[in-house]
Amino acid sequence: MRELIIAIAKGRLQAEALELLSRAGICANGDSRESRRLAIRDESGQYKLLFVKPNDVPVYVEHGIADCGIVGRDVLLEFEPDVLQPLTLNIGRCQIIVAAPEAATPSASGMLTIATKHSHIAAKHFRSRGQPVEIIELSGSVELAPGLGLSDCIVDLVQTGTTLRDNGLKIVEVITDSMGRLIVNRASYQLKATSIATLIAALRQATDWGGAT
Amino acid sequence: MSESIARIPNGMRYYCNSEAKARREVETIAMSVFAGWSYEEITTPTIDYYSLFNKGIGNTLADKAFKFADADGRILTVRPDVTSGVARAAATLCANRARPLRFSYVASVFRQKQQSHAEWRREITQIGCELIGRNSRVADLEVLLIALEIFRQLELEHDLVITLNNVEILKGIADGLQLDPNSREELRRLVDSRNAQDITAFLQLYTPREDASAFARLVQLSGKEEVFGPAQRIITNPRSLAALDRLQVLWQTIQSLDLAERFEIDLGNVSQLDYYTGLTFTIYVRGAGAALGSGGRYDDLLANFGKSEPAIGFVLNLDALSDLLSARSNRVVEARRQTWETISSVDRDSLELFREALRKREIGKCIRIDMNEVGTCAN
Repeated sequence: MRELIIAIAKGRLQAEALELLSRAGICANGDSRESRRLAIRDESGQYKLLFVKPNDVPVYVEHGIADCGIVGRDVLLEFEPDVLQPLTLNIGRCQIIVAAPEAATPSASGMLTIATKHSHIAAKHFRSRGQPVEIIELSGSVELAPGLGLSDCIVDLVQTGTTLRDNGLKIVEVITDSMGRLIVNRASYQLKATSIATLIAALRQATDWGGAT
Repeated sequence: MSESIARIPNGMRYYCNSEAKARREVETIAMSVFAGWSYEEITTPTIDYYSLFNKGIGNTLADKAFKFADADGRILTVRPDVTSGVARAAATLCANRARPLRFSYVASVFRQKQQSHAEWRREITQIGCELIGRNSRVADLEVLLIALEIFRQLELEHDLVITLNNVEILKGIADGLQLDPNSREELRRLVDSRNAQDITAFLQLYTPREDASAFARLVQLSGKEEVFGPAQRIITNPRSLAALDRLQVLWQTIQSLDLAERFEIDLGNVSQLDYYTGLTFTIYVRGAGAALGSGGRYDDLLANFGKSEPAIGFVLNLDALSDLLSARSNRVVEARRQTWETISSVDRDSLELFREALRKREIGKCIRIDMNEVGTCAN
């Protein structure tokens, strides 16, 4: 079997991804898990795990530097990378939503200003229904924007909705759901077919859907 | 502030020295293989009408081309593809020639928009061939064997996988579900990304759940002979079954030729569904993160130019291929490293110098005239 390189999104998804991998029999040993190394081998020596920023996971996989990746669907929708997505993983469940201030009234001009980290998803969503929008790209604390008058509403990921409520925002619309996904480089899928099939089967088995699919 | 002269546009680059050599070598090998199978070389115009490519390769790729207006107002593009031009020539210029027509080419194609995040180049050199006028297993196999021979001569055969599919399988299923063009494209996209859950969820709108998940399993099937059994159990419509049969017959021939090791069936490979009509194939080589070539049957394309006849062809990406060869210091490319005999021009009569040079060139020697002291030459 050939060694597989798996890129894992750091942050929100990381702990759940590592837990899922260890249920699938892919365990990073204790030492390396606690170290701050960004590339580690699993105990069997068959897998190498890379920890990179979520947005960079599809970049590594698309270029074939990593054979596979574990990343949220939100990132895939935002960047539309040319990769295979054979498996949905029941981790990092969240929603991509439109939120606006509690007391918002629709603007007379019909033009909407949207603050977001997900400009492509936001633009695609509103343009598909002919809604003219101005997208303001921010890199964090998006929930502040409407209150300060920077935008009419926001497009963001939510898990619990607490941050929204604390900042006086309510969900106006759910654009789509997002969960973690296994992505695979097109060439690796063919050239390392046996190893990839083994990984997919192991992760499918380890994915806990709690009875629902 | 004026712009630096060193700057070049995004997606463009120079190739020099060993890289340029590797490219020429790959080109020479591929073109000699084509010639060996009696493919004649064709050169298509670099600049042509937008409408040609829109009718040919289709609007997805035509829209990515560099465009500008001709003096009469018609839209011109720098060719984003060679096949469209070859197909038009076959239907017009070569309309009365005996079939099949066999063409080969090496040419740059240009795209204003990058094709994907990983393919940053906007000028790509394609090496390709087209076999026009026959729709048969013999024709399908001929082009597959040509592709295989090129990689064998490049000594990449052992790192090679060519995946095979027949897009009629998916088209038959989409027909059976009576999908409109948009839904069909959506299904193609989902199949192409191989996500079983997404495919099942989408198909449940059209068909019972068991059928939907059976189909989702189908498109994840890849492998060799063993793929056909399960596929035949899942597929029910005649169009898809006929396509699957044809693929199986092709597979059996490949097996009988002892070439099965290099090929895989991949029923999920469905890029460019509107362009291809039967067999499709994609070429992967260990060490390259993306496909190095692809091809297939496009029996509907020539009708767009007024002469309905079948055709099949493939293209290889010369840039990606020579990058790979340079990276792994391939023997085939290395073997052509040249050495020169240096002829000094120091303190010599230039007449005598060039007599020596011409003599050596006549017997085929590689020479390099040392010009460091050229100023001291007599005369």
